[in-house]
Amino acid sequence: MFKKYLVLLGMLTLPCVAQAAALMGFADSIMIMGEAGHDYQEAMVNYSPVIGHAFGVEHMRMEDKNGMQSSISALNYTRLIKRWNMKGGQANLWFTGGVGHAYGDGDEGFAYTPSVQFDYETTRLYFLGKLRVMRGPDMNFDTASVQGGFSFYETGFDETQPWFIVEAKTMRNMEPAFQVTPALRLINKDYFLELGVSNPFDGEYRTPRINFMFVF
Amino acid sequence: MKKIAFALLALTFSLNTFAASIKAEVNGMVCAFCAKGIEKKLKALPQSQAVFVDLKKHIVVLELKPGQDVPLDDFKAIIKDAGYDVTAAEVVDKTAAEIKNEAAQ
Repeated sequence: MFKKYLVLLGMLTLPCVAQAAALMGFADSIMIMGEAGHDYQEAMVNYSPVIGHAFGVEHMRMEDKNGMQSSISALNYTRLIKRWNMKGGQANLWFTGGVGHAYGDGDEGFAYTPSVQFDYETTRLYFLGKLRVMRGPDMNFDTASVQGGFSFYETGFDETQPWFIVEAKTMRNMEPAFQVTPALRLINKDYFLELGVSNPFDGEYRTPRINFMFVF
Repeated sequence: MKKIAFALLALTFSLNTFAASIKAEVNGMVCAFCAKGIEKKLKALPQSQAVFVDLKKHIVVLELKPGQDVPLDDFKAIIKDAGYDVTAAEVVDKTAAEIKNEAAQ
């Protein structure tokens, strides 16, 4: 019952997805993810009945290079295609896809958002690569991104671990199309929080960005 | 008769005196946020006294309540359902706190 309320809460607080190694929680868990930047906000809530599969909803809002507002609301499925558990690390290959409805200053209609992601992580190093299609009527926000980073030090299971992460991302029809975001990432067993600045060396496009994840 | 009484006494003594824990080496644990499921599921077991997870040494410990038992296969299945692989598991006569202290040294 409590989980149902959490799902509802997540759906109601959608206006703002973190790109972390974990795109779902453990079996019988709920994960809430969000990303909020100047011209792009996204949120996703999913429920994982068994390890490797999660079902949820996603909502994203974009403001393109012409100032046109668009949004996509979709039902979402996440699949852990393959996981490699190693003694000192873990690698994952993910598929995530959403089908739903796109709204915008232009057309509206059917929208789809399939993506694939590969990540590799140790207790000190992190790498992620992601390709995502985001399409609707007269809408194309296809995205390619890579992230890399390191933790400042190892921590115990009950402590918060700080990381430095840099993301490079291209997104069609956005201004600028290529964005670099250095960020401080804090990982705790209860939350994932990332605070970054997109385009820090470009005064015109310098904007804060926040990513977060919670699992219940 | 004395032997039986002695055996019973010894058994009672052992159950009350020695803590039993399942100690496992687990592959893939690199982040507390991702490994939270392990702790949550193990703590939810009625036989659970304490749980200790060490990311650096890749160790998961489930301390059992006195006289309680969890089959190793069930323990491994819980870790597997959380998304990780158990490479070795054994029952040891130590508490989770004792193993935590050893790991810290």
